[in-house]
Amino acid sequence: MIGTDKIHSMLQAALDLNMGDQADAVFLGSESGLTRFANSTIHQNVAETQSKVYFRVAIGKKLGVASTNSFTGADLKRAYKSAAKIAKVQRENPHFVSLPKPAVYPTMDTFFEGTAKFTPRQRAMKVKSIIDRAGRKNCTVAGSLSSGSGELAVVNTLGVKAYQRISSSSVNVIAMGATSSGYAEGLSRNVEDLDFRAIAGTAVDRAVRCANPVEMPPGEYEVILEPAAVASLIEWVNYIGFGSKPFQENTSFMAGRLGEKITGDAVTIYDDGTDPTAIAFPFDFEGVPKRKVELITNGVAKGVVYDSITAVRGGCESTGHALTPDASGEGGLALNVFVQTGKSSLPEMIANVENGLLVTRFHYINGFIDTPHAVLTGMTRDGLMQIKNGRLKGGVKNLRFTDSILRAFGTVKALSAERQLINAWWDSLGCISAPAMHLGSFRFTGQTDF
Amino acid sequence: MKDRLKTAIDYLKSKGASYGDIRYVRTTAENIKVTNETVDTLAHDVSQGFGIRVLADGAWGFASSAICTQGEMRKVANRALQIAKASALTQREKVKLADVEPYVDRYETTVATDPFDVKLARKLDLLLGVNKILTKGSKVRVAESSMDFYRTEKMFLSTEGADIEQVLTESGAGYTATAVESGEVQRRSYPNSHRGDFGTGGYELIERMKLLDHAERVREEAVALLTAPVCPSGPRTIIIDSSQMALQVHESCGHPTELDRVLGTEISLAGGSFLTLDKRGKLRYGSRIVNIVADATCPGGLGSFGYDDEGVKAQRFDLVREGMFVGYLTSRETAPILGERSNGTMRADGWNRLPLIRMTNINLEPGTAVYNDLLADSDGALLLDTNKSWSIDDQRLNFQFGLEAAWEIRGGKKGQLYKNPVYTGITPEFWNSCDAICNRDSWHVWGVPNCGKGEPMQTARVAHGASPARFRNVMVGVGQ
Repeated sequence: MIGTDKIHSMLQAALDLNMGDQADAVFLGSESGLTRFANSTIHQNVAETQSKVYFRVAIGKKLGVASTNSFTGADLKRAYKSAAKIAKVQRENPHFVSLPKPAVYPTMDTFFEGTAKFTPRQRAMKVKSIIDRAGRKNCTVAGSLSSGSGELAVVNTLGVKAYQRISSSSVNVIAMGATSSGYAEGLSRNVEDLDFRAIAGTAVDRAVRCANPVEMPPGEYEVILEPAAVASLIEWVNYIGFGSKPFQENTSFMAGRLGEKITGDAVTIYDDGTDPTAIAFPFDFEGVPKRKVELITNGVAKGVVYDSITAVRGGCESTGHALTPDASGEGGLALNVFVQTGKSSLPEMIANVENGLLVTRFHYINGFIDTPHAVLTGMTRDGLMQIKNGRLKGGVKNLRFTDSILRAFGTVKALSAERQLINAWWDSLGCISAPAMHLGSFRFTGQTDF
Repeated sequence: MKDRLKTAIDYLKSKGASYGDIRYVRTTAENIKVTNETVDTLAHDVSQGFGIRVLADGAWGFASSAICTQGEMRKVANRALQIAKASALTQREKVKLADVEPYVDRYETTVATDPFDVKLARKLDLLLGVNKILTKGSKVRVAESSMDFYRTEKMFLSTEGADIEQVLTESGAGYTATAVESGEVQRRSYPNSHRGDFGTGGYELIERMKLLDHAERVREEAVALLTAPVCPSGPRTIIIDSSQMALQVHESCGHPTELDRVLGTEISLAGGSFLTLDKRGKLRYGSRIVNIVADATCPGGLGSFGYDDEGVKAQRFDLVREGMFVGYLTSRETAPILGERSNGTMRADGWNRLPLIRMTNINLEPGTAVYNDLLADSDGALLLDTNKSWSIDDQRLNFQFGLEAAWEIRGGKKGQLYKNPVYTGITPEFWNSCDAICNRDSWHVWGVPNCGKGEPMQTARVAHGASPARFRNVMVGVGQ
């Protein structure tokens, strides 16, 4: 940990070169470790100390960005000068008005010492416990366990000074029998919150219950999606639809439809970086405080998330969803997505299905097929189960789905009262909080051999 | 720097590591993206650091840092050794490495025009010029054009005596026109989707693409797709263009021949492989005209280099020969399982990442068909062009690809245009239905700059040589 004072003064020293009209600097630093295991043995075990500073210099409406991972005073100044040099040859961005002004940030407890200092040996011992538990049920396991800490700071020439330190930990486990597999995962800022025993047990139980999977034909099925399956659909729906860029470019299923009912009444999705029950974070990469944004409320399209530049284009204020300066052309992106819970539970949902399928999770989803209709395709993985007369019957060979998620979510019959934090590709800066979901109809379009 | 790296290697030896290597990497990147008339990304990045990989107690440890001082190197070496000892807690068998000659050598990409010497204004003028053509008229709402340049300087030293320096230069560019009308969104790209085409080389690669020459056609096709009928579903004869063939090779041959996947060590993220050890030399992967090679020596390929990140020299070898599955991509750790030496495919996407088995240039070798003759011989077939979506199961069997456009072939020419074409299949059935592959005149090595694998996620830049090919009785559409 470098600490707020040292980082701010380091960044300020470069900004003091004052080569543009405005400038900001973003610091991202992390110390992390990750232990991977497969075939019930650790095969990759890594540690990394990494930092990066981005400078963005504005000359009028021209913006230049440069970055470096070297923190000598000379290299920081060199990177700042590169950003200014780029800004000089840039073209004007009509939607750039100003960098954000200073703001007050909520106080958040996002750092746990024990997680930051979790050692390779501690990770190995947790992995060993997972391996041993699976071994008792004649399963092998694969997965990963990561732990670490980070710091994010934003400084700009208008007086923004933001700093937050974080810790994070996550584990995923795939248990494998001779003919089947099962999956479970956990995510928390505090490694002590992860129940490794329960996570391993869930994965192993699913693998055992899915042994000798049967073939079922593709077609339309009533389904129960477990939280990991729901979250992976939401991850893509978010990417193609809830950001300001696809909204303003009219490629999003939200474009031109705000206020319109686009999916089922039971579906409410929002982004809230301030909710401490998930992976909260107080501000974005421009130093704008994160706001709660309603995306879909009771099936009605309500809004999308913005950074400062796309907010100007949209005639609104930034919602605090800017990405790093090198990705600022991508607009805002929701990083703390919540799917509203219901009143049901997984056992209740299963009891209410006469003939259907339970999906543990999906693999390799792609959402570029038809973005205005949110058509996604992907495969089931690690625990597709048949439900017959209100009971889990056994494993099913994996199926491919291709469906409009707005259509499928239009058939929601129930949502669980509890939700789970599911890791997304943006990792320690947020997650997707999803309940289990019971859908009346979900379209499977292909099958595979296992 | 070299002296510091040598001292670190000596330190690893003194601490009793049975094997150790240190890799210093400095990467310079320039990324430019222009959306309509706005330059929304213009970024320059420099990243440098080192990673130390050690074997101790028969297990691996890896640690890295961006602080390249002698003291930090010693600290990181100790951390890597501690991690290796922790790894050993679950170790069943000690890691054994295949022998490799400890090369002392230098390799550098051949570059005619250094892309970092070309003025930014010249690059911006070209991209803005492309976008001006793409946005002519009102239906193309989004024109995106981009250029990306990377220079990677590496030093690799090992306790076995390897001392290799490499300088790799990679360049790429491309654009996409997105037409929008009445809730319909259609796009066309050139020379390929996903930020275009890439290779090892300099700005001459960009000039060869003749970006301006194709912009008008791309715009017109994107607009025409708005009113084109949906591609009909059902079993069809299809001809796949060479850029989509590249992705088909990538997903259904490149990934499943990675031996680490086959052995289960990538299960936790990307999955395994249907090409299990018992199938080597026995499985008819494709028809007799299908030949696929891994060739890290292919001139200009994005997957070309001098040595991999274990110090193994770049090689060319067969994966599929006359339709039979015959080879894997291997590493020093995995090759001994086959009784072989590594074929040099271990690469990391930076100083802070562990090398993994990665594709190099995985090339579908040219066949004998002449493109125009193939069209003339394929009345009623669908010509599928430029990837839009991709998905495949975790054993690499069931795949589904979406394309930007399809045309029905009539009288040897492109006829009716269709939107939203999708085709799907099972890998060996699909490749066994291949009855024509175009010759070298239609063959191109396509750069794929965004191949993801591993935890933490690593992005590799790989490539695939391919020419258009014909497949019989393939399921088009999703049956709805």
